[in-house]
Amino acid sequence: MTGGPALAFIRQPLVVALVLILALLLLGEILSPGFASGRQILRLLIVAALLGIVAAGQNLVILGGREGIDLSVGGVVSLSALIAGNLMSGSDAGIPLAILACVATGALFGILNGLGITLLRIPPLVMTLGMLGVLQGLLVVVRQGIPSGRAAPSLSQFVTQPFLFGLPGIIWLWIAVGLLMAFLLQRTVFGHRIYAIGSNERAAFMAGVPIRTVRVSLFALSGVFAAIAGICLLGYSGSSFANVGEQYMLPSIIAVVFGGTPLAGGKGGYTGTMAGAVLLVVLQSILTTINIDESGRQMVFGATLLVLMLFYGRGRAMRA
Amino acid sequence: MSKLKLIGVSKAYGATQALRRGDLEIESGEVHVLIGSNGSGKSTLCKIVAGSVRPDGGEVLLDGKPVDVSGPRAARALGIGIFYQELSLAAHRTVAENICLADLPMKAGIFIDREALTERAQHYIALFDGVAGDGFSAATVVEGLRADQRQLVEIMKALASEAPVLIFDEPTSALDRAQVERFFDILRRLKSEGRSIVFISHRMDEIFAIGDRVTVIRDGETVATSAIAATDSASVIRLMVGNEDELAPPTEAPATSSPASRDTLLSVRGFSGKGFANISFDVARGEIVGFGGLHGQGQSSVLRAIFGASPVTSGEIVLDGRTITTGNPRAAIRNGLAYVSGDRGREGIIQGRPILENLMPIHYLRDRLLLASPASLREKAKPAVEALHTKFAGFSHPINSLSGGNQQKIVIARWLIDRPDVLLLDDPTKGIDLSAKADLFTLIRKLAKEGMGIVLYSSEDAELLNNADRILVFNGGSVSRDLTGSERTRYNLYQAAYEAA
Repeated sequence: MTGGPALAFIRQPLVVALVLILALLLLGEILSPGFASGRQILRLLIVAALLGIVAAGQNLVILGGREGIDLSVGGVVSLSALIAGNLMSGSDAGIPLAILACVATGALFGILNGLGITLLRIPPLVMTLGMLGVLQGLLVVVRQGIPSGRAAPSLSQFVTQPFLFGLPGIIWLWIAVGLLMAFLLQRTVFGHRIYAIGSNERAAFMAGVPIRTVRVSLFALSGVFAAIAGICLLGYSGSSFANVGEQYMLPSIIAVVFGGTPLAGGKGGYTGTMAGAVLLVVLQSILTTINIDESGRQMVFGATLLVLMLFYGRGRAMRA
Repeated sequence: MSKLKLIGVSKAYGATQALRRGDLEIESGEVHVLIGSNGSGKSTLCKIVAGSVRPDGGEVLLDGKPVDVSGPRAARALGIGIFYQELSLAAHRTVAENICLADLPMKAGIFIDREALTERAQHYIALFDGVAGDGFSAATVVEGLRADQRQLVEIMKALASEAPVLIFDEPTSALDRAQVERFFDILRRLKSEGRSIVFISHRMDEIFAIGDRVTVIRDGETVATSAIAATDSASVIRLMVGNEDELAPPTEAPATSSPASRDTLLSVRGFSGKGFANISFDVARGEIVGFGGLHGQGQSSVLRAIFGASPVTSGEIVLDGRTITTGNPRAAIRNGLAYVSGDRGREGIIQGRPILENLMPIHYLRDRLLLASPASLREKAKPAVEALHTKFAGFSHPINSLSGGNQQKIVIARWLIDRPDVLLLDDPTKGIDLSAKADLFTLIRKLAKEGMGIVLYSSEDAELLNNADRILVFNGGSVSRDLTGSERTRYNLYQAAYEAA
């Protein structure tokens, strides 16, 4: 890093993201007065929490290195929302079973991803893309194009209504996820092993790190986080639409990279990713405010990722 | 007038002086052997002649005229062809294409003339007719060939240059008897055509079978040139050793108790795998067993196989009376083995992570820890890093902030928190500074005194002579000699390493 400590501080991905968030809020307020009002910001945070929970799993997978990426998160979110909606059918009594079933489903697909990648040596990009295809097919078969299932009232309340100190439950859930991730990555052996395999898999192997177990666990966790996000998404929208989760694939990756975790893995953390998730949601909202439609937003997101790669993604040269 | 003459050629790579004063004189119609121990500068000398390395000083004369070999293309134009020790083949192309790679026959200036290509390649392939082995033809893709067959392609490629001066840097390392014989026949014919051949080999029998004259290089300097007929292998080895035996006396090493009285800690029986066959040896408690010999004679492969990092086809390991299986490093570590690689960038450090995390992986595994509390881990790490006099600013600083020597100390220190029974060291001092080396060997001797069994492979002969109680000399994937006590001299080490097994 060149320059003094001040410059180094400014270059921190987290600081960059926070500055950009404030700038975008200001821009939004100028374009459309009321954009940065308290109520509006709270709504943005709820949406950001949904993305942020998905990105937590994505973050773990990317940290584990060897081109780790999970493209199937969107499919798992959709499937989870569908399962949860049908098990709840608008009644609180179904909540425990729904959570259990969704988490198990997410873990199952994650484990399948992990096994394909470690045992069959399928590249993560291909494996999880294939899994996404399977999930999408499954959704079409199960749902047959008709929206189904309804969120339990308590769930909707948890996601959209104030729960504690004026903040909805989902925000508290997201904060809990943030604390859990920080603890996992910094204070557990598992966390240290994630960085070890992401940074130098060969050295980790020679030092007795169970590489396959760690990697399969990462994909399983990604599935679980996507499943939890799916349940919350159901609570947010009330019922599950076709492929509601699809919108999460690209942004979850961008949030991670924005937060300072290079796609090569081995360094970074979740705090930056949280800021990245907020930033993306604010950006998305601004694009909506100035009447840019879904396809336009997708293009902006794709371009954002490519630009980000210029700054953060090339951290390490390709290994021979 | 000599065909090729090098006068006082020198080359430094960074701080390492690979070649101080290289002199070489080669006549037309001779096979000139170049010999020297590990890292003496032979390969650097060849690379200078071939134009792939620029010398820092000195002169190269061809036919009596000073020439500037500015690159491989310039070398070809001057009539110098080379066989590289590190194979330089295009794996996905055919044998014929590889043989003619430097000068592909063209049609209309842009298309490769397939017929001419095959015809020309066929000429060189025919030279090894009958010894090249199954599945060897002009159309075979190089990737599918065995190691010896690839080496033949590399030889043919050098021959196809039809250069008046041909350099062969260890061309026979993978070849079988019949292939070597055929190759020598070809060299004799080239010699009779008046061509000049530089031949590097570590096999004394080959050197005396094919050479006309021999030049010995030691520590980057040409020591002597003599006619093969007027010398013998003992004299050549003595020239390679020089006076260094007096500088490296067997140290305190042979402990007061005789090895027989100590109990065996590690016993390896009939170990075979890729690159080594039927290796058996014992390590007593408190003993430092050295692995010596030329580079790549199986020393590393054996250590890695014991540690479970590469597969074995047969053999058993008995540690402290128990037969153990080490299918992977995890199993080996749990059984009390430790392994330190010399390639610390690839196999040692976890780049970009704090020093503390780099110290802990073995402790995590052996203590089956789940939580990592920095405070208590620091306490455990402290004695380990202090034992090695490691210099660092703080446990939370990234490993990359340390010098190479201190990085390696951290990698070694990770094994000292939970002591292993046997420490396997695979050329552990590669590329680290002298003071770090000294610290390292002080520690190794101390660990041995405390009862650890140590196996040390080093590419620096002095490290073995100064530290090992016993030296097993590897040659061609097996142990050719077991040097103990006063036999541990540089002369014996070289003799065992260079004589045919």
